Amino acid sequence: MALLTVENLRTAFHTRNGVVRAVQDVSFQLERGETLGIVGESGSGKSVTCYSIMGLVPQPPGRIEAGRALFGDVDLLACSHRQLNRIRGRRISMIFQDAMTSLNPFLRIGEQLIEPLIIHEKITRAAATDRALAMLHEAGISEADHRLKMFPHEFSGGMRQRVMIAMALITKPDLLIADEPTTALDVTVQAQILELIRKMQKELGMAVILVSHDLGIVSGFCDRVMVMYAGRVMECARTDDLFYDTKHPYTRGLRQSIPALQMKGEELHTIPGQPPDPHHPLPGCPFAPRCEHAVDYCAREEVALTEVAPNHGSACLRVQREKLPV
Amino acid sequence: MVIVESVETAGGASFWQDAKHRLWKNKLAVFGLVVLCVLAVLSLAAYLRPSMTGYSYEQQNLALGPMPPSHAHWLGTDPLGRDLLARLLYGGGISLMVGLCATAVSLIIGVIYGAIAGFAGGKLDMLMMRFVDILYALPFVIFVILLMVFFGQNIILLFVAIGAVEWLTMARIVRGQVMAIKRQEFVEAARALGLRHGRIIFRHIVPNLLGPIIVYATLTVPEVILLESFLSFLGLGVQPPHSSWGVLIKEGAEVMEEYPWLLIYPGAVMALTLFSLNFLGDGLRDALDVRGSKD
Repeated sequence: MALLTVENLRTAFHTRNGVVRAVQDVSFQLERGETLGIVGESGSGKSVTCYSIMGLVPQPPGRIEAGRALFGDVDLLACSHRQLNRIRGRRISMIFQDAMTSLNPFLRIGEQLIEPLIIHEKITRAAATDRALAMLHEAGISEADHRLKMFPHEFSGGMRQRVMIAMALITKPDLLIADEPTTALDVTVQAQILELIRKMQKELGMAVILVSHDLGIVSGFCDRVMVMYAGRVMECARTDDLFYDTKHPYTRGLRQSIPALQMKGEELHTIPGQPPDPHHPLPGCPFAPRCEHAVDYCAREEVALTEVAPNHGSACLRVQREKLPV
Repeated sequence: MVIVESVETAGGASFWQDAKHRLWKNKLAVFGLVVLCVLAVLSLAAYLRPSMTGYSYEQQNLALGPMPPSHAHWLGTDPLGRDLLARLLYGGGISLMVGLCATAVSLIIGVIYGAIAGFAGGKLDMLMMRFVDILYALPFVIFVILLMVFFGQNIILLFVAIGAVEWLTMARIVRGQVMAIKRQEFVEAARALGLRHGRIIFRHIVPNLLGPIIVYATLTVPEVILLESFLSFLGLGVQPPHSSWGVLIKEGAEVMEEYPWLLIYPGAVMALTLFSLNFLGDGLRDALDVRGSKD
């Protein structure tokens, strides 16, 4: 059985200016130990998907309108707050984009590290502190015993993200959701942090959901990749298939937009146009206005993610109907 | 070597050591602290041994009458021949106690109430804050007077009554701050760890409000002392022969043209106390802010 099964997740925000459908009919499965990458531009709904699973969508204005997220036999979207709190931080952990702000500035690192242990396990403070020390050491922080007494502002960005990872993994969870864990960091530190997550993943045998807007990071890290655009899944496949046998024009556009692939002097590739206004969803495929392959029915007919090759889903009508090569 | 050492102590120094260090560097705050300590010790001594100054706060000497400051009576005597220094110190104890207790009461109620309302948001927040609005609309002097009339003139009750009125502003301030902080990422992170709401509020959010809370609390102490003075002035607070600064100022104001020292000394001591409290409050706020720049 899959570790996590998300079915038809639909999350909307009811704002003063109307309803924003941030996530529409997102479905995916995650096996034990597997790494899933979620890629998309800002506002594509990748973070909201994760927040929905973790029960972190502020309600109101947010509302989970439909769907299930089965973790084991518990539906994370429907279970009680109490039940959710027994899973969060113990079996599913999350790390956030900005480690600068996701540590409490008024609590010592040590206090924050042992907190998940104290609330989820019957453990003494001394034993918890020992575990925290070991975990900090694992996370590559030297002089750990000394650092436990320090405050977050005395740490650098990369160190804070290491602390966040140590905190998320101290309870040995089955699933780690990493919401853009390296976006706020230097490139060199980025690689170290990803390496750390990979190392811990191997040791603990946990599954990872890595959210990123950087296709490059995801390609080197994940078993499978899910590409999101305007709240929908555009394509979902094993990493190699997604890169070498792309089945959606949007994925191709993203791939070509990686600047490192361009020669000096050559113009950078961009996808023309802007993502649709979330307040006014378009009928048909949301990418149609920007798509070079779009034909008249693209903007009219509803499209859903469909398997176009084994274990390879695409939400492009032309790929589905005409086997369009993209 | 020296450099390495100093870096280590800067990083490893405990929170309170750090705070103490920063407080000591603030001359005005230290001044305020010293003044308050001296006043508190003297008042306590006067309370425990009323004859410390050589005179009791209630010992009358009608034959003497009002005397200007002299060698025998350092601050002079009032129309009943009571020693002003003795009464001032004894009254200081009561005034400071009213100030601290009422502030503590208002602090506890206000912080808990405001934090819950701000964190919960939505309908509960609306209900809780409308209740505060209603209490605000009541003329609070009348409220205190009513309490005094019903329960008699009891000093403990005076603390409670003033505190019960003063928490409203604190609740509003705390609520606003909590609403601003609860959307920050570290609160999300705490939720993601599976923490219960109570723990998030009181362990993760409230400590971040230490600054505004302390500043407002130090502003509340003088306010409460003034309020007590005002109530005593109206004859509703502390009653003679007991004294408080409010009582002394009231008595002094009645006779200020004939015997100005009866107003000047209590007024000066009270002003000094209020200044000291404000200095100390500012200093504490800066000292307790762990995020503050390391100078």
